[in-house]
Amino acid sequence: MQAQKTIFESGNELAAYAAKQINYHIMGYFPITPSTQIAEHLDYLKAEGRHDVELIPADGEHGAAGICYGGALGGGRVFNATSANGLLYALEQLPVQSGTRAPMVLNIACRTVSGPLSIKGDHSDIMYTLNAGWIILFAKDPQAVYDMNIMALKIAERVKLPVIVAFDGFFTSHQKRRTQVFERDSDVQSFLGSYKPAFSALDCESSVTIGAYMNEPDLLNNKYQLHLAMEESRNVIPEVFAEYESLTGRAYAVTTCSYTEDAEVVLVILGSSYDTAMVSADKLRAEGRKVGVVTLGALRPFPAANLAACLKNAKAVIVADRQDSYGAGGGNLSLEIRAALQDAGSCTPVLSRVYGLSGRDFYVEDAAAMFEEGFKFLGASTVRRFDYFGTYEGNGEANTRQFFAPITEEISRPGITSAAVNASTGKMEVTGGTLTEISAMPKRIAPGHGACPGCGIPVNVNLLLKAIEGNVVLLFHTGCGMVVTTPYPTTSFRVPYVHNLFQSGAATLSGLVEVFHQRQKRGEIPSGDITFVMVSGDGGMDIGMGPSIGTALRNHCLIMFEYDNGGYMNTGYQLSYATPMGARSSTSHVGTAQSGKAGFHKDTPQIMAGTNIPYIATVSEHNPVDFIRKAAKAGEYSRRHGTAYVKALSACPLNWGDVPANEAAVIEASVNCCYHPLYEIEHGVTTLTYNPEDRGKKIPVSQWFEMMGRTRHLTKPGHADMLEQIQTEVDRRWARLKARHSCEVL
Amino acid sequence: MQAISLPQVNGYGYYEIRLESIGGLGANLSGKILGEVSLRLGLNCSSFSSYGSEKRGSPVKAFVRYAAPETPIRVNSPVEMPHLLGLFHERLAGKLPVMAGATEATTVVVNSAQEPDAVREMLRMHAGTLVCVDAQAIAAQAKTRVNMVMLGALAKASGFIPQDALEHAVSETLGVKYPQALQGNLDGIRQGYEAAAGRKLEPDGRFPLVPYAEPQTHWGWKNAPIGGVVPVYGSTVKNDLTASREGYIPVFKRETCIHCGMCDITCPDMVFQFARGEYKGKPRMMNQGPDYHHCKGCLRCCKICPTDALTTGNEREHDIWANHVRNRDLIVKQMQFEDAGTNSYMESESATVNELY
Repeated sequence: MQAQKTIFESGNELAAYAAKQINYHIMGYFPITPSTQIAEHLDYLKAEGRHDVELIPADGEHGAAGICYGGALGGGRVFNATSANGLLYALEQLPVQSGTRAPMVLNIACRTVSGPLSIKGDHSDIMYTLNAGWIILFAKDPQAVYDMNIMALKIAERVKLPVIVAFDGFFTSHQKRRTQVFERDSDVQSFLGSYKPAFSALDCESSVTIGAYMNEPDLLNNKYQLHLAMEESRNVIPEVFAEYESLTGRAYAVTTCSYTEDAEVVLVILGSSYDTAMVSADKLRAEGRKVGVVTLGALRPFPAANLAACLKNAKAVIVADRQDSYGAGGGNLSLEIRAALQDAGSCTPVLSRVYGLSGRDFYVEDAAAMFEEGFKFLGASTVRRFDYFGTYEGNGEANTRQFFAPITEEISRPGITSAAVNASTGKMEVTGGTLTEISAMPKRIAPGHGACPGCGIPVNVNLLLKAIEGNVVLLFHTGCGMVVTTPYPTTSFRVPYVHNLFQSGAATLSGLVEVFHQRQKRGEIPSGDITFVMVSGDGGMDIGMGPSIGTALRNHCLIMFEYDNGGYMNTGYQLSYATPMGARSSTSHVGTAQSGKAGFHKDTPQIMAGTNIPYIATVSEHNPVDFIRKAAKAGEYSRRHGTAYVKALSACPLNWGDVPANEAAVIEASVNCCYHPLYEIEHGVTTLTYNPEDRGKKIPVSQWFEMMGRTRHLTKPGHADMLEQIQTEVDRRWARLKARHSCEVL
Repeated sequence: MQAISLPQVNGYGYYEIRLESIGGLGANLSGKILGEVSLRLGLNCSSFSSYGSEKRGSPVKAFVRYAAPETPIRVNSPVEMPHLLGLFHERLAGKLPVMAGATEATTVVVNSAQEPDAVREMLRMHAGTLVCVDAQAIAAQAKTRVNMVMLGALAKASGFIPQDALEHAVSETLGVKYPQALQGNLDGIRQGYEAAAGRKLEPDGRFPLVPYAEPQTHWGWKNAPIGGVVPVYGSTVKNDLTASREGYIPVFKRETCIHCGMCDITCPDMVFQFARGEYKGKPRMMNQGPDYHHCKGCLRCCKICPTDALTTGNEREHDIWANHVRNRDLIVKQMQFEDAGTNSYMESESATVNELY
């Protein structure tokens, strides 16, 4: 036995703690709730100098999976964590990793897959990985998350397969528990031993090719090898579990069966619900009811034989599925258990109950009700084999009484602001837009949304929409702007609105725009204009960059509006590429061994400039006249010429660490220090629309940084070098912009 | 370590705590610290929060379960019938069922400057032990936050969490991260501990016991539009966000308003109601005043107002409903407002890195 100590941590923190003790070479990751805390905590430990894992914030989960793959091919130990749609976005890479036999560890804090979007836990994500060729361990509590993270790497390296450690999002990922951990990191490392990869892409003396093109019959043989490795793991997993038990006293198994010897009704249930079901089983046993409970410590390889043995005496099996394989008559757990029982020659009936989707809580009474269904089934065959558990009909007719009159084309066109190309000059010109009149514009977004006090997002979106007359259709990327406006069953939007995830928002709006034109052409909808606006922020232009560029290159008639709040705020402020260098975020801590975010802030307008779309502009809430003028132009360009991109720097009092009432001044400072210069690019010609130098208002970046908690440390001694680097970069970009302003062809 | 013995436990062997709060007051952190304390009391423990939001002004819950060291904690669902219930903000005693599951055996610790009798009325408290602590005032005086004072009061009210164990836990967690705030935090805990005096309330037939229930909406599988579509546009207008304010409001003085429209431009919450009128002999969009239902008290408008038409006021000192203007676009005559907080899916555990601690 090796020395252990007790700590009080959550499942996510414990996954990070295991990674710290293992001291992986790299972690490639992209933040997604509820797995995000793993990277956050590992980054926190890194900033304190407590490990040497290189944390690489990817451009999306697909990129994160690629980073991990590359690391593994170089013989590195690599680590990752994700959830839900992030997992699905990475899914394409999973068979690549297993098929080319790259061992690694991926944590899945299980969460329901969109849409509709929900962040809560169920098993609809993990079940997509059943065919990926990965070993899948399932941890029922935070202790198991820690232990399995250590064992997973050993298993992965022994059979040369990647391993997932799955656990319940929130219930396990966020619940803090008393947990035993190895006191010494060195004991973890000696348990794992050193890893010698079979092949390495970094071995230049005995070069190998990884990822050759393969046809039949080779691929069949390759997959058979994968199958054999998976079969081998059936022996390796228990061996590793046993060795680990000898060091820690903590025992694990691929199946855990309680009271199954004489149980009539057995409930099979995964994850955190198992313990809750056991409380119910203990109670029922005390009353003389013959119930049993089974859970699984591994989904792949599927422990079919162990399960069949556990269930051999049951009269009825109830499988609690925390997802549905729609149309199959059960979730994947049910389907696999039915297959396992049939293989074992058992005719025991299997009831499936889809429960607890999207984190719907599972109470002791729920487990009792499930057992009761089993007994009822034994008594009368009228009980359905497949059903949902916990749904309700609703009260009568859905109340769809409107609070507002519709915003008609006529109402939305009070004639305050308009933009048109001046026939004699050929230039787009704006008329109207008077601030004292603009409040007459109907508000396309209703009050009562849940943004934080002082949030910049509604301010910026409202300003944009005030300048756009006529019909508007909105599409929001996932992010704070979307979450706070559409808490089901309510919405703040008074105009048509669509949400889609970052990776496909721009593409979705492209399709909507083109169908508008097609249907108008075919006479299916009336003629007239609609201004289409995509709204993105919270790092949406990182993971959504590719499709946004694609949309721009196709030059669809729409506006892309970016509220750049400089981080993934909706998930708790992880760094985005737009976060200022050196800024503190929950994945760029400031500590003895690390100074905030590495790398300069992304220059999205200039990236978009490379697509040569008709119109690009940067705007600021502190300069509403300029904002409205540009928004009106963007509207007209998007209706007549193609794609317009508009970017606002958008205040986030919560995560910027400043006073909500001061945000207009903070944004003004960002403009005056030239971090966020105001300009526009019309058909390739750059014009500065506000030059703080001309007005004697130019300030150093440090003055802006001083105003925010996330950057204030940069103005203190010890960070002078970094501050100077940032100032130099901001000056360089500003000088380039002035040069472009002075010369049309630049 | 000799484990402290719990004064009472439920049928599963747990002593359960529920904290009801508004994001920003630090209830989640309090739950975590109460969890940390278990290491010093030799108890088994779990601690978690209502997952989903920790944005400022949004309702949050935190849960703690203690058990004897040999008793495994196997229930992962929310605390239904707490032994100890902490209410971090008076305003929670509105339409939210914060008192659900509180029985005669429950001790309720409330952050309130009011007398217990008035607090009982406000909470519609059935029975139990009521502890009122003016955590707001103590925190301001001790230069700490409400949650530290509440922690002290909760520890005292529990009857088994010694003050020194709590101080120890705070020193070793927060104290390491934020050493400069430690003295204030410890003062807050001490004063909260000293100020917590309970009064036993018998059931008097006026307020029934509120059973715990899972939240449900009116829309179920039979009547909800397919695909999660929301057909009622602008329906968040029925949300009353009053609870998001932290005591301050913009006060509108119509006489000095020049109707420049800047408040409408800077307001994230579409609070100001403008209508056509005449100003200095010319037609003009005129500011009628704020709809306070949706004002979250960010005070952006007071900062931007070029005159003194909008100034910061203490909400307690103003009759805001006398100054109130109903949203001009509503077509419904009457509307049942729902208490709401700001919301998002920010992870409750994520370090909001710039929070004070």
